[in-house]
Amino acid sequence: MIAIAIILTGIGSYAMRAFFIFALARYTFPPVLLRALEYVAPSVMAALVISMMTTPEGELVAGAAECAGLICAALAARYSGNHILALIAGMAVFWGVTWFH
Amino acid sequence: MNTAPTRPALRGCLDALPLFIPALPFAFVFGVVVAEAGIPAWLGWSSSPIIYGGAIQVTLFTLIGEGASVAAAVSAALIVGARHMLYSVTLAPRFQNQPSWFRWIGSYVLIDQVFVLSQIKPVDEPVAFRRYFLAAGFTFWILWMTCTALGVALGPQIPAHWRLDFAAPVLFVSLMMAASNRPDKLGAAALATALTYLLAPLPNRSGMLIAVVITVVIMLLLPRKVNP
Repeated sequence: MIAIAIILTGIGSYAMRAFFIFALARYTFPPVLLRALEYVAPSVMAALVISMMTTPEGELVAGAAECAGLICAALAARYSGNHILALIAGMAVFWGVTWFH
Repeated sequence: MNTAPTRPALRGCLDALPLFIPALPFAFVFGVVVAEAGIPAWLGWSSSPIIYGGAIQVTLFTLIGEGASVAAAVSAALIVGARHMLYSVTLAPRFQNQPSWFRWIGSYVLIDQVFVLSQIKPVDEPVAFRRYFLAAGFTFWILWMTCTALGVALGPQIPAHWRLDFAAPVLFVSLMMAASNRPDKLGAAALATALTYLLAPLPNRSGMLIAVVITVVIMLLLPRKVNP
């Protein structure tokens, strides 16, 4: 049964990724749709962060340390454009505030 | 950052490597979930090449471990992964002047980090785009196969109180900033943050997808001030 679940999920997740790439292979995108697609990346990244900071029931689990870490990571990314630096800054501030408390 | 890579394959590998760091603790979390669900390690690991999506795999085995039916576990896992459909739409124009083998293989490695890399490092030339995409995609793939194998074999090796799992939201904040290279895109990120929080109580994280769709629609309806 578990093997069946894995295979079904595999087929489903592949189909979700491939569907529009194949379905729209010859489609001429109108400018308004191309403009809409530009907003997908920033929106999904923001949505992923909030999903990670909430329980499956929708409760926010971010305290002072989490908020400080995420804000510092955002600023480091904005001013350095370097993800490693943003990761180090975010984690350092998060750990710092956690231990300070 | 190099936006016009001269060697796209090498660039793709190098850009992918640092983005994998937060997936490392997640691979060990995955190992724990598989063990706690009472699933044999090899069978749990087989989901890495078959499904290839960390959050989808963890959701599936968490629910199976809780005794959910196959239908319930599979549909919940697929709802968690539904954002990949948005990636598929968004990348469809870039896959148009590509050979069909690339559509088959490229779809398989289309995960969060590969999607966002393809958006923040635009490579226009089709051959360069293909090499960059596949190099980044398979760098993640090889690392995920290796690390989830270690995860199911070793279990929890990283103490939970280190909170290394927090590296994942930190990385995605950084990626969000890189993807928000225009004021209107930053506005979209802020709007999606608020809407995802408001819709967070919806089951199986489905609020996330709805929040993104509403955000995109609102951004289109707003008067164009900052758009080029």
